[in-house]
Amino acid sequence: MSIKLLILACTILLSFNSVSGSYDDKRCKCVCPRPAAVLNNTISSDRTLYIGNVPPNKCNCDGIILPKVGELIKGREQEFCPRCECIYENRNTTIIQVVVIIVVWVIMLLVAYMGFLICLDPLINKRAKASYQEHTNEDDESTLGGPSQQMGARGNVLNRVTHQQDKWKRQVREQRRNIYDRHTMLN
Amino acid sequence: MERFPLKAHIPKMATTYQSVYKKGSNTGNGHGGPSGDDDMVNIKTGPQRAADTPTTPTSHGTFQLYEHGTRYSDASATCCDLCPKMMEESNEAGETVPLVGDDVGDAVMFSGLPGEADDIPGIGQYEDFHTIDWQRDIARDRMRHRYIVKKRQDSIWDLIKGAHDAWSGWVCVLLVGVCTGVVAGVIDIGASWMTDLKFGICPQAFWFNREQCCWSNDEITFDRENCSEWLTWPQVFGESRDSTGAYIISYLFYIAWALTFAALSASLVRMFAPYACGSGIPEIKTILSGFIIRGYLGKWTLIIKSVGLILSVSSGLSLGKEGPMVHIASCLGNILSYLFPKYGRNEAKKREILSAAAAAGVSVAFGAPIGGVLFSLEEVSYYFPLKTLWRSFFCALIAAFILRSINPFGNEHLVLFYVEYNKPWKFFELIPFVGLGIIGGCIATIFIKANIYWCRYRKYSKLGQYPVMEVLVVTLVTAIIAYPNPYTRMNTSQLIYLLFNQCGISNTDPICDYQRNYTDLNTIEKAVAGDKVYNAMWLLTLALVLKLVMTVFTFGIKVPCGLFIPSLALGAIPGRIVGIGVEQLANKYPKSWLFSGECSSGDDCITPGLYAMVGAAAVLGGVTRMTVSLVVIMFELTGGVRYIVPLMAAAMASKWVGDALGKQGIYDAHIALNGYPFLDSKDEFQHTSLAADVMQPKRNETLSVITQDSMTVDDVETLLKETEHNGYPVVVSKESQYLVGFVLRRDLNLAIANARRTLEGITGQSVVIFAGPTQPLPPGPPPLMLTRILDLAPITVTDQTPMETVVDMFRKLGLRQTLVTHNGRLLGVITKKDVLRHIKQMDNEDPNSVLFN
Repeated sequence: MSIKLLILACTILLSFNSVSGSYDDKRCKCVCPRPAAVLNNTISSDRTLYIGNVPPNKCNCDGIILPKVGELIKGREQEFCPRCECIYENRNTTIIQVVVIIVVWVIMLLVAYMGFLICLDPLINKRAKASYQEHTNEDDESTLGGPSQQMGARGNVLNRVTHQQDKWKRQVREQRRNIYDRHTMLN
Repeated sequence: MERFPLKAHIPKMATTYQSVYKKGSNTGNGHGGPSGDDDMVNIKTGPQRAADTPTTPTSHGTFQLYEHGTRYSDASATCCDLCPKMMEESNEAGETVPLVGDDVGDAVMFSGLPGEADDIPGIGQYEDFHTIDWQRDIARDRMRHRYIVKKRQDSIWDLIKGAHDAWSGWVCVLLVGVCTGVVAGVIDIGASWMTDLKFGICPQAFWFNREQCCWSNDEITFDRENCSEWLTWPQVFGESRDSTGAYIISYLFYIAWALTFAALSASLVRMFAPYACGSGIPEIKTILSGFIIRGYLGKWTLIIKSVGLILSVSSGLSLGKEGPMVHIASCLGNILSYLFPKYGRNEAKKREILSAAAAAGVSVAFGAPIGGVLFSLEEVSYYFPLKTLWRSFFCALIAAFILRSINPFGNEHLVLFYVEYNKPWKFFELIPFVGLGIIGGCIATIFIKANIYWCRYRKYSKLGQYPVMEVLVVTLVTAIIAYPNPYTRMNTSQLIYLLFNQCGISNTDPICDYQRNYTDLNTIEKAVAGDKVYNAMWLLTLALVLKLVMTVFTFGIKVPCGLFIPSLALGAIPGRIVGIGVEQLANKYPKSWLFSGECSSGDDCITPGLYAMVGAAAVLGGVTRMTVSLVVIMFELTGGVRYIVPLMAAAMASKWVGDALGKQGIYDAHIALNGYPFLDSKDEFQHTSLAADVMQPKRNETLSVITQDSMTVDDVETLLKETEHNGYPVVVSKESQYLVGFVLRRDLNLAIANARRTLEGITGQSVVIFAGPTQPLPPGPPPLMLTRILDLAPITVTDQTPMETVVDMFRKLGLRQTLVTHNGRLLGVITKKDVLRHIKQMDNEDPNSVLFN
């Protein structure tokens, strides 16, 4: 259920938040030495960057660099162009946006739930903790139809959720005991 | 070796052979033991009265099987009939006999049939920290399969069900592949965004990392790699970019974010899913070898491991996401297998899906689908039939395809550090490559020894009581030391990419600061290293030491952490250094005999990036002791098969050095440290002990056995209470100790509880009947028939069998226990635990460290 909620929240967030136009999904990125370094024979490690939005087959010196610096290196293209490296890249901004927002949401939800379990839950759940017997085996429990199932049958959804939560908490407690206290696993 | 005589329970089969066998059963010769599948037929439930069998013409033909020597010379069928239809008929035939669970429609042991849920619940499953019985589970699946094949002719619906059953394995791995690809994409994007969050933010669109933020900005000045859209934290607070104050603010923000991420990761793991910590590969290996760790592959582990992995990778700790990715994929495999009862309810079959999932995990982690399949085969899987190979192949393919369509790094590849080389390597370079292999083996051994020492210390000392604090301290120290050095400050994947890369024009890092002359095209690549390169070498050496030390302390802290990436970095750094050294040598002495033959053409003939890759492969190979899969993964990273020989040479050299210096790879060492019951099929058992030395009970103890037809329910329950064995041999009588079969404690418990609940008249005084000659029913409460939970064909060995053979049987057949006989009488039991403890004892280790219930 929380996942549905999450998706809903994300779609709302997305609809409010349109990506600004400057972020294209593809680019052709060319790196060259400074024209001066080539033409004037100086040794320099400076580079220049040329970025343009062209089809992949145009992602080369002719398509990107010459339109920009054609004047400067007129006549010496044959010397300049081989020193440049062009790569075509694409991305999907929507996927990035959705994924990052989902990740942030999930982390926030988990932190909130953790805060709830640490702070409020002990207060609420002080009562009737001993009413559950210690079951170590989830499948026995779910299928044997002991007290738990009867309860599930007559109880409402909330009861069942609470029961599931308790079962889960018991499992986590067991895991914690194995790892943090007894150090029998995952050392 | 056929474990179960229940193979041929198809009524069709039974009717086919009916006439033949009927005669046989009347003569009472028996059939000299099962010699083929078809001999083993039709085991009948419940004792029919002795007189009935030969005379009563039953429609399905009950006949004799398993003639137990002279004991049953006049007895008739003693077995149970597992076919539901026949069961009803035999009910009608012998109405006086209350059968166990009349409501049960089908064989209990072979439950798992869809739609026939009213078995004794829970049978066929295992308890936490138990090993599975491969033979039994596979036989169960075969039974289920036969049942479906048989039913297929009945109706269209059954035909569809049969078809669904046939393709469910493929559908399951398809789903696993899709989900793995998606989750890997989420982790990649999330981690790259969060890593850059340590340095700054993109105010216009906060979800972009620096690269994405400066996507179409061509004003990036290369010395700072910064653009106007991306704001570093000092800039956010109005500082200028290059002041001392800005450096301090960046430093503090770096540390603060690192601590926040690490603290979040550690506390989420502690709060929700402690099993999500660590790399997971040793545990996956153990699980795939047939061990049950409940919750290890569950929903919460999946969620927390994914989220915690993003957080811990971004915190700048010296760890990677590749190992946990295998765990995440296996979680997905486990969860999705529950959609298909064929796999979800059969632990042995489930492991086929898990093997495929592990392949998909590596496939997305390294962008190496074939490497993933081989990794699954070489490193993690225990039982790997060809069918699983194809499924793994498909699963890895789908996962890689999905991740490729998500395109998390914007480079059309699945990993950040994908590089392409185009230069051939020279023959003499094999010498430095093998040298790198030796260096790699040494680094790997140092790492393994130190890490195991530290983990052992953590396990037995007070340090282990402060898991979250430990994470915070390690993060703090890492962040403080790492920030000043640019090579440790950057993400380890980026560092690896930088080291693997060739010094093209677009690479402006100091390690590519060659004195290039741009005017002469022919010599553009042949260049003398500048001062900055030597400076960078020192920084890289420091980075190597730091990474080595920090990784030793990091691997094993209680956050999701893998060690592929750190070990790749540990190898890539010395590799690059050696590469630059060789390159400069060739540059300086182009006329020397070594280089003159092959480097004379004037261009740069050495690729330092290739050395980095070979070094990385060497360390990774030394750490994990992988060979084939490692080489394939590495060459899938480079996109060329040309470098297989260098990689093979380095991997082999590193494995030899590693094996010479220390016995185990890191995963095996961690398995041994934790005492997981992993029976390594790589080791050989070299001692000369006999089965009699290992078996339980030892001298002066008695073996707990159950007799086939003379113990009451109370007796059995007392036995269950007083002993803690996981299974009991069933014998003819305590005096004779002739073996009848084997019954599991869990099944016994469930069956008795079920019988008490569902059957009337079962009291403590009821006699429990497992097998035996039919006899007139004794007066008193009705007997409890437990024929169906009895394994009539337990694997036995004699007491003089050498342990070599026994260990081999355990490994190859995946046994859980074997019974030891002497002169045909039961003498004792050897369980997997006994075998593991015996091996430990023989190797002078503490036998009590085996984690086992």
